[in-house]
Formats: sequence, C-alpha cells, structure tokens
Amino acid sequence: MEQPVTVAIIEDHPVVTEGVASWIKSDPGQRVRLVQTAPDLAGLNALPRPSADVVILDLELAGKLVTQQIPGLVAAGYRVVAFSGHTDPAIVMETLDNGAHAYVTKDEGRDHLVEAVLAAAADRPYVTRSQARAMLADQQPARPVLSQQERQALLLWFQGMSKASVGRRMSVSENTVRQYISRARAKYAATGRTAASKDALLARAIEDGVLKPGEIVPYQSFARGGADPPSLGLPGR
Amino acid sequence: MTTVQPAAIMAGRYQRAFTLAVLFLVAGWHLAGAGGQLLHNRPAYGSFAFQCAMWLVMALAITAGAVLVLRGTPGWCAAWAVAIIALAASTVAAAASPAGQMLAVNWAWGSAGWTGVLVLMRRRFPELVWFLAAEAMATLGVQAWDGLHRTDLAGFLAVLAWSTGAQVAVAAGVRALDAAAGQAATAVRSEHLARERAATAEIIRAARHARWLALQESAVPLVAELAAGTADPGDAQVRTRCAVQAARLRRLLAEGDEVPGSLVHELYASADVAERRGIAVEIETAGPLPQVPRPARRVITDAAIAILTDAHSQARITLAAVGAGIAVSFIADTGADVRLPAPGDGVFIQQQQDGDMFWAEVRWNSQ
Repeated sequence: MEQPVTVAIIEDHPVVTEGVASWIKSDPGQRVRLVQTAPDLAGLNALPRPSADVVILDLELAGKLVTQQIPGLVAAGYRVVAFSGHTDPAIVMETLDNGAHAYVTKDEGRDHLVEAVLAAAADRPYVTRSQARAMLADQQPARPVLSQQERQALLLWFQGMSKASVGRRMSVSENTVRQYISRARAKYAATGRTAASKDALLARAIEDGVLKPGEIVPYQSFARGGADPPSLGLPGR
Repeated sequence: MTTVQPAAIMAGRYQRAFTLAVLFLVAGWHLAGAGGQLLHNRPAYGSFAFQCAMWLVMALAITAGAVLVLRGTPGWCAAWAVAIIALAASTVAAAASPAGQMLAVNWAWGSAGWTGVLVLMRRRFPELVWFLAAEAMATLGVQAWDGLHRTDLAGFLAVLAWSTGAQVAVAAGVRALDAAAGQAATAVRSEHLARERAATAEIIRAARHARWLALQESAVPLVAELAAGTADPGDAQVRTRCAVQAARLRRLLAEGDEVPGSLVHELYASADVAERRGIAVEIETAGPLPQVPRPARRVITDAAIAILTDAHSQARITLAAVGAGIAVSFIADTGADVRLPAPGDGVFIQQQQDGDMFWAEVRWNSQ
C-alpha cells in the first residue's frame, strides 16, 4: 500500500474544515492523511519546507480573495487544490492560471475533493464540472485550441452526464472520455503564466501518453508566428 | 438612447445652419465690404501694401475662426486668440491710416468686430460685449492719438452705433434662434417618446392577447374541469397537469419581461415551479449566450417543462454557447417516457436515457 497523500486545509470557517476532514476520514481507502489545518496562509508561509503534499485552499479568507497567493504556494513546493464557493469562470481560470492543480466548488466538494487531491498529488489533471464550464466559457485570445472531441467531452461533462454516459453518447470508452478531458486540461497548463505545478502537470500528461509534445502549442503562437515553446522543465519537487 | 438622438441631431442641424449664415455674413463683409473699401481708398493709405497685409491677417483670423466654429463652440483660449489677432490687426491698420481721414478709410473696424461675433457668439454674452468695447476703445484711442476733433467724435459714434449695433443684433439673433431650435428639438423628442410609448403599449397589448389565446387552449379547460368537479385534485395526473399549466403561466408572464438573457429568465421561471414541488434544480450557463428568437425559446422552455414535470428529485439545466448557436441541456431523474416537444424553428433535440437519468439537449443554430 502506498503512503497516504498528506494534505493541509486552509479555511477560515471551522465548520467547513470539519466537513472536509470528515470527507477525508470517510474515504474507504484512507488514501489521504490530514496533517495541518489553518485559518490563513501565515502558518504555511513560515515553514522552511512544505508540510504537506497538497493544500486545500479556500479562495476567500477573511473576506479577501487569495488567488494571488497561489504562485507563492506553488513556488514553495505545494500542490494547490482550490476549494471555493465562487463559481465565476473568470475566477476559476485565474486560479488555474496561477498554478492551482484543480478547482472544486463547495457544491462539488463531497464528490470531487478527495479525488482532486489524489490527482493533484500525482500531478494528474482533474477536471470538475465548474472547471469544464470555465474552459468552455473561456474567450481569452491566448486560449489553447481544443479538438472537436475534447470540446464535446467537456460540454457533455459540464452538462452533468457521468463519464460513462458521455462515452456512450460519443461512442467511445469511458477511459477515452477521461483522456479527452485530461488533454484539454493539460493544454491549459501550457498557456498563460509559467508555474512549476503546470510544468509538472504537462510532464506527467506526456509521460502518461495523454498528450504528445507537439499538441501543446498554445493558441497565441499561431498569431505571433512562433512564440517561445512552452517550458517543459522538471517539476518543482 | 435612440429617443434622444433625433432631437439632438435636429438641434445640432439648426445651430450649424445659423453658424454657416453668420460665417457667410462675416466672410462676405470682409471680402466685399472691407476689401472694397480698401481698394477704393487705395491712394489714401501711407502704405497700401501694409494695409493689404493686415487685410490678409484678418482673412486668416476669419478662416481660423470658421474652422473653430464649424467644429462646435470654441474653447475660450482658441476663441480669444482669434479675437485678439483680429483686434491687433484692426488697431495696427487704423494706426497706419492717415490722421484725420482714419474713419473714412478704415476698413478694419467692421471686419474685426464681425470676427469677434463669429468666434464669441456662442460663448457667454459678456465676452462679446467686452470684445466689441475693447475694439471700439482701441479705434477711439488711435483717433485720439491722431488728434480728436468734435466732428471725428460724431463720426466715431455714428460708425459705432450702426456697426456695433448690427454685430450685437446678429449675435443676439443667433442666440435666440439656438434657443428656439432647442425648444423645437425638445418638442420633437417628446412627440417621439409619445409615439414610442404608444408602440410599446401596442406590443404589450398584442403579447397579452397572445398569452390569453395560449391559455384558452390549455389552462382554461383545466380550470373549468376543476371548477366543475370533473377533474379530481387528488389524482396525480391532474396534479401533473396543474404543475405544467402553472409552469406555462409563469413562462408566459416571464416572456413579456424586458430582461437581458430572456431564455435564462424563462428557464428560471419554469424551474421555479419544479422547485416548489421539492425538486432541486441547478441552472448553469457557459460563455456569452446568443439571443434566441421566441419560437425557438418556446421549444426549449416546453422541453424544460416536460422534463422538470417528470423529474423525481433533481434536475440540472445548462446553457452553453456552441458555434453560432446555443446548446441547452437537461438532466433529470425522470425515469423513462418523457414526451418532448417537436423540434423545428432551427431547433434540434437529442436525448439519451441512462438508468433513471434522462438527458436531453436542445440545440438552436442561428444559421
């Protein structure tokens, strides 16, 4: 049995922390171990070495959005899973662009949070419906080019179908649906600001065969006629 | 906003016409009046070339003033720059005229005054008064310098009276016409608003009539049955019919509302009824959604009503922009047998049953 993934919860409402802790505890495989909880980021930033593999970060602490703090956490070696009441696609995209591995809204928490933490610990993409929605709604000029199947899989997933149903609808296997969605997510990791977490996600996607290196050319490079290729350096840790 | 534009445009057109009239007057005066006087008195000037140069400076000032006023009411800086150049040219031209004959051969006083009218007529009225007074004082000063006689003073007053009087009268006339044009434009605007109100009232009346007709076909027979006791409220089927008609009523009311994103609004109205039955309904949108024409919206909301009516405990409605249209999807635990409306009006419907979860997607394309 593998070592459990260690996780810290940064959340200013104790009742939410309790709830998340109970989801972690009720995971049948006990795959995640809670090592730290804090109402703000001061505790984490004071430590010399990362205290947990993954941080579950409430995006609003003491009434303030902390999306800008994510690059700092990523640089310190944490993998960030955002857990927020906000569903605005712009906030979702900003959070992912800042280097968060996944975005889980508070409505989605019970079904997705533990899985998102496990995926993040392995640097694998995890796409919730709110993330799919933000990707479908994305109008930024520098957005990546998604294939027809990737868009269709994202759309059906956003609409609320199970991945098995999406597979039946698209006449492909459930695993292929996962591949389409993961590939779309990985393409996003190649755009926008650079972050160790995004490089790690991309490197893992290539390792897993989800994505070929040639597929991660961001959209803007077509317009600019050969921008820098996305960095594929080793992950931060 | 569209109601304001015609009035503003109309008032603007009148003002421009008045500006052009004054411009022709000033240019005509300078060319024919002042120019004619200059040529006629050619031998009398000490230096005819100098007088011609001043005439050209004045012509340039008038041209600059014309450009300014054709662009709108000039700022004080630009307006006064032109006015002071005209004043200076006029004073210098007067000073260079032979003493004693100055008033007889002076072409510049009138031109400078008209230039002032041109650039200052739409600014505060005292500004023009100050300018004309300064112009008169400068001319009088030159005359005094040359040695003022009683006859000269009489001549000065005569020229002052008719020239400055005409200038003030024209400026006052333009102001009065501007005010009249503004009033006319306001009258046109209120007439336009009244017409628009009447048109809106007609649209609302037509919409009410259409709603009434729609109710005649569906809700009224149900109410009649309930009243006559032939429909039993205890019967589940009757309750379903009531739920459907309640949803339709809400949708019909929502259809008339002037809100952006009419389709989302109508879907919320439809979902509201299901929520009252204890069904959890989520509605989410992705991307900027296109405006969907009413017939297509009808098909979409009919599908929503059909699915929400059959839902047992939960439903999710999503709207996403796809290509040149919209994909509206429904997922609900309906069990089997949802009767969806017939597609049409550019609307396509797909559906899939997975266990007791029913999925349907209604797509509308603008092309």
